[in-house]
Amino acid sequence: MSAIHLLPDALISQIAAGEVVERPASIVKELMENSLDAAASEVSVQLAEGGVRLVRVSDNGCGIDREDLALALARHATSKIASLDDLERVGSFGFRGEALAAIASVARVTLASRRAGAPHAWRVDDRGAAPEPAALGSGSVVEVADLYFNTPARRKFLRTEATEYAHCEESFRRIALARPQVLFQLQHNGRTLHRWAPGSHEQRLADALGGEFAAHARHIDAQAGNLRLSGLAALPAYSRAGRDLQYCFVNGRFVRDRLLSHAIREAYRDVLHGSRHPAYVLFLEIDPAMVDVNVHPAKTEVRFRDARAVHQFVFHAVERALAVPQHAGSAPRPETPSQVGAAPTTPARSAMSPRQTALGVEQPVATYLEFVATAISRDADTGSAAQDIDASPPAAADNDVSPAPPLGHALAQLHGIYILAQNQAGLVLVDMHAGHERILYERLKAMPDGAPATQRLLIPAVFSASARELATALEHGETLARLGFEVGQAGPAELAVRSVPALLARAAVAELVRALLADLRDFPAARVIEARRNELLATMACHGAVRAHRPLSVPEMNALLREMETCERADQCNHGRPTSVQLSVAELDRMFLRGR
Amino acid sequence: MLLINTPKEALQAPLQAVCGIVERRQTLPILANVLLERHDDQLVLLATDIEMQIRTTAPGAAAGEPVAVTVGARKLQDILRALPDGCELSLLLEDKRLNVRSGKSRFSLQTLPAADFPRMAAADGQAVSLRVGQGAFRHLLAQVQYAMAQQDIRYYLNGLMLLVEGTELRAVATDGHRLAFARTHLETPLARAEVIVPRKTVIELSRLLADADHPLDIVLGAGQARFAFGDIELVTKLIDGKFPDYERVIPQGHPKVLRLGRQALQQALARVAILTNEKFRGVRLVLDEGSLRVLSTNADQEEAQEELETAYHGDPLDIGFNVTYLLDVLNNLTVSEVECRFADANSSALFTVPDDPDFSYVVMPMRI
Repeated sequence: MSAIHLLPDALISQIAAGEVVERPASIVKELMENSLDAAASEVSVQLAEGGVRLVRVSDNGCGIDREDLALALARHATSKIASLDDLERVGSFGFRGEALAAIASVARVTLASRRAGAPHAWRVDDRGAAPEPAALGSGSVVEVADLYFNTPARRKFLRTEATEYAHCEESFRRIALARPQVLFQLQHNGRTLHRWAPGSHEQRLADALGGEFAAHARHIDAQAGNLRLSGLAALPAYSRAGRDLQYCFVNGRFVRDRLLSHAIREAYRDVLHGSRHPAYVLFLEIDPAMVDVNVHPAKTEVRFRDARAVHQFVFHAVERALAVPQHAGSAPRPETPSQVGAAPTTPARSAMSPRQTALGVEQPVATYLEFVATAISRDADTGSAAQDIDASPPAAADNDVSPAPPLGHALAQLHGIYILAQNQAGLVLVDMHAGHERILYERLKAMPDGAPATQRLLIPAVFSASARELATALEHGETLARLGFEVGQAGPAELAVRSVPALLARAAVAELVRALLADLRDFPAARVIEARRNELLATMACHGAVRAHRPLSVPEMNALLREMETCERADQCNHGRPTSVQLSVAELDRMFLRGR
Repeated sequence: MLLINTPKEALQAPLQAVCGIVERRQTLPILANVLLERHDDQLVLLATDIEMQIRTTAPGAAAGEPVAVTVGARKLQDILRALPDGCELSLLLEDKRLNVRSGKSRFSLQTLPAADFPRMAAADGQAVSLRVGQGAFRHLLAQVQYAMAQQDIRYYLNGLMLLVEGTELRAVATDGHRLAFARTHLETPLARAEVIVPRKTVIELSRLLADADHPLDIVLGAGQARFAFGDIELVTKLIDGKFPDYERVIPQGHPKVLRLGRQALQQALARVAILTNEKFRGVRLVLDEGSLRVLSTNADQEEAQEELETAYHGDPLDIGFNVTYLLDVLNNLTVSEVECRFADANSSALFTVPDDPDFSYVVMPMRI
């Protein structure tokens, strides 16, 4: 008897099911994706006992012809692609033709479908009988009952009903988030738990994730070439202890991609405390030909043709959205083009939206005038602000009707630590050290670096390197040189560093280069160096900032508030702590039970 | 039990000598203490930080059998400092407390048993003994110690290399960016010995050594070195490591040579340094026929320039350095002239003292 033999078809499907059908939530995902691929505008999911007893997905999609019904449950049968060419530019969720077959091999599946215009629906099940007539409106209904009835070993891995339901709900949410124009309904054990009507993206986000997230998030909408990123990124103050609120979609498909999460994480690095996790819902749209989704059985990983460009694009889009100070959004914006043009624009800021620039420079200046008039400060920064006033056309200042600056006018200093300021909404409390620290940090970062100054080493730092490190060092020699590193091979398994950026001359060289190589290997754009540089600058800024218990005069405090308004990322200090807190009059009233 | 009765100054000086190494923060409480031991007619004082220990004596101890105790070093020092100058004081050990009495002042300090005090065991094995003048050795250290690394992960750079070879005693220090080398000559040839003295020991030695020509006895053993001078004996652990090959690093035959007044160059650099980029303190040296210009620019695009006249004839050169590295060597030399040698903008520069082969300083350039 030969040792090698072909496996029976049923077993092949069961093996495939191991990858595809991990738990009821996987079935929910596969079936809902099928519904959406069938262009349904209403999708309803019914679960029983956490989806183990029953998962039933019904839709009003295009339906399946009688002749195709039997084939639909067969392995490697699909209507979604036909050739290799199609595979390279997949636009649908599914394409492998495996899901239904895999599910059918571990559960009892019934499929009923009615094509638009057909006299009635047809039903098949996984026992292979011929299709029989059934009653149904248009669309399809897939029922998956008794999951793992024939594989008790896997059944043991299922958790409690509540846990399995939570996973199903999460799958449901992920799919619903990406398709706001579709009505989604979720029932569990006969109770309707979610019903999300078709609407805007914003509405769906609020439905699916709660209003609190949306209220604390920044809108992102950026486009570059054939890339588009939209969605919401939560402000650092709304950060989470876990990664539970991180949704990333590529062409509407939910993914957990290392490249994307790295880019987003890096964008948050400057404003988020190290142990916190950002919350976001981001939709990346990209030419399907530029991304390979056939990487992972559950398709939660993707591979980009031009990973570097995607990384850069996502990083910059998110970073820019976070950079705008919070109060900038709430304050009235100067809209007229003449004002935008009048605003002095530095090259570093030109990447920002012009509205922000105009707001940043002009409005505070105008309101600041009265303070300059009443109390002349000898502060250097005040001096430069006064110059700007002279330079800007008086007309622009005159027709500026902003009633009060966003952070308000300083009233007093509290315990030498906090600035109390009054703005339109009420009371603003500002941590003066945190605020000043951020201003100095942003100023240091904005200083032009040019080509990095490099310090040559008298004694090269030699360290033993793995084959991967060696290959990365040789492959990325030019990138390394641009960053200021001269790295060469010193032996069969050794690398020698001969020069380092002058800024990091005191760092532990070998460790730094190792980290850099690891980053270069995994991610197209090495941010290690910038991160290390920023750490250094953050320390410098921290030492340079005014300390607590330093008494500040009112003009000084106002100057600080005005600078914070124009400063990027001023809502958080360098360590991710908030710099200001707003207490509205209504909140204060509540404290004193006024008007009750 | 009376330990000692003495004028304040006779106890304060030795106490200061040993207590310099006591760290401010301790995890092991007894390390904050100083050991006091009545021995014959002397009071022995001993302090340690585990890595090194310093022992000295104060005269005039009371007679009686040997007795020892440890007491908080800093508190005792502070008390002595605060007592009026010229007063008499006595230390008494009574019921496990150390009483300090002077005039109408009374202090009672808690003690820890002397038996628990960690003492360094004498190392055995091969050792090289030599005797040099205290002043000469102090000068040797001063010429190189500023180039030692500080908390570098290459632990062997966080110290100073002492090398005995024939009739030469050499000292070398480097932090990987620059290297200082100095040597002095011995009267009799000795066996070869190479050790790395930890940074803290070097700093402590320069503090304690007198500038005079009194003798200093050095014993370089395996893992341990002993320095004895005056009443003081300092024992230190050594850094176990391979110091870089300094001879390969000192360049030979750099073609561009010029001599400069040390103070003129130092002052020019100090002025230009004001407008260097505070992140990495780079200055440019631009060498032309007959002149050396020193330039700096900072991040705010402010500029500084100094020009020094030289008798230089040769190719022009434009080279950058961390100004701190240049100021370090100029600040620590005492001569009136220095000789600078360059090759090109990517090669090291060599600073020497004219007509003195016993000092070299190598510094790597910075590309600005």
